[in-house]
Amino acid sequence: MAFIKKQPEKVIEQCERKRERNCASFELQLSDPNPTARRWAARDLADCLDSSAALVAQLLREQNSSVREIILTTLTKLGDEVAVAGLVNCLRSEDAALRNEAIEAMKMLPDEVAPIMSQLLQDTDSDVRIFAVNVLESLQHEQVEEWLNEVIEHDAHVNVCATAVDLLGEVGTSYSWEALENLKARFPDEPYISFASDLALKRIRGS
Amino acid sequence: MAPITLSHEEFLKFREFFYRKTGIQFEDSKRYFVDKRLIERIEATDSGNFRNYFITLRFETSGQELQTLTNLMTVNETYFFREEYQFKCLVSSILPEITALRKKQGPIRIWSVPSSSGEEPYSIAMYLLEYWPGINLWDVEIISSDIDTKIIAQARRGIYSDRSIQHLPKNLLEKYFHYNGEGYQICDDLRQAVEFTKVNLMKPSDVRGYREFDIIFCRNLLIYFDDLSRRQAADTFYDALNPGGFLCLGHSESMSRVSSLYQVRKFSDAVIYQKSMEAQ
Repeated sequence: MAFIKKQPEKVIEQCERKRERNCASFELQLSDPNPTARRWAARDLADCLDSSAALVAQLLREQNSSVREIILTTLTKLGDEVAVAGLVNCLRSEDAALRNEAIEAMKMLPDEVAPIMSQLLQDTDSDVRIFAVNVLESLQHEQVEEWLNEVIEHDAHVNVCATAVDLLGEVGTSYSWEALENLKARFPDEPYISFASDLALKRIRGS
Repeated sequence: MAPITLSHEEFLKFREFFYRKTGIQFEDSKRYFVDKRLIERIEATDSGNFRNYFITLRFETSGQELQTLTNLMTVNETYFFREEYQFKCLVSSILPEITALRKKQGPIRIWSVPSSSGEEPYSIAMYLLEYWPGINLWDVEIISSDIDTKIIAQARRGIYSDRSIQHLPKNLLEKYFHYNGEGYQICDDLRQAVEFTKVNLMKPSDVRGYREFDIIFCRNLLIYFDDLSRRQAADTFYDALNPGGFLCLGHSESMSRVSSLYQVRKFSDAVIYQKSMEAQ
């Protein structure tokens, strides 16, 4: 037989010897030229409570998607105000991939995102409001329907309302009937809004 | 003395703590399962109530009680040749691809996690011996890990019930096992073929040394994790794999909603995830 054995711990010892291991050194390693070192630094920073600012700064300049993913995982794990603010900032990025990654990360932080959701849904940038609705798509929070109703009742931008009404077709209940009817009245010349509102109402009534 | 009970708040407090330590999330429906095991440990440690026990659990320097409780809380149900189609894929597609592209010397490295009581890593070893001619040309290293130290000890002993061996072909049962009165014990050659180690996938210090694997089997574990823990596991496997390395998940599990780091490979026997060849 050709089975062999080697203790993984031996490899651990070799790795441990190579670098200093504290929060300050992990933050420095975030800009190491080697992506593997950057990934490990991002992973190790999960145990460093004040590391969100350094992670956010690296996230915004990081070009390697595998490093970005781990930075986002750690920011999600930390979930503090700086981390959430950093993710929100990514929604304003010109980089579509980064925006989508931030949306996915925010979906995993329902309790941390909830306090700022109303504010996000009233952002001056309609694209940011659409991304906030995207976050609601699978945010496990009891206020999701309430937030969506706020959007379709008050948002002046048709694309924001269209995104929200699509989602209400999936998550809406009888609580949204009136808001959906009002939405059609607010945008009488937008055939898509009428179509999507009727579809949502039909789904809600059928459920 | 009044029987020990847990309030809903205590259950929530424990659930949050245990999740942070292990990544394992208990739904409300698991309340009975969790309460039963917690009360068992409160009694065994003479803690008297949940509050005292929880203090031990949180602040004990050795972490021994947390390990004992983790051993009780983990589900260890598996059997030989479970989801055999992936082993077929291993020998018919994955290994030929790895060996064809292999540039460096050294063994082919396989990580099977969680090991549970050893059925999966031993199945892999048997499958290679029986169905992969390359075993005569290549060295293979199989490492298998679990968070539960008790189950690792059981895996090393390699003694199995009728239920564990029910899907094994009779000729393989006869070839690799002997009945020792207690159960079917796997032969020494196979027991020595697998290295068992204790690993908590959520602890970076535990997984740091796990690198340069060609294939990882992680089947029916992610279903017990929440989204964030799945993502952490996916990230860990990424750094544990060589460029072009393969990740095999359970049939009900998918990487597509968890991580964008892997490519989907559709082989005739199974769908497997692969780290890019160009990955740095």
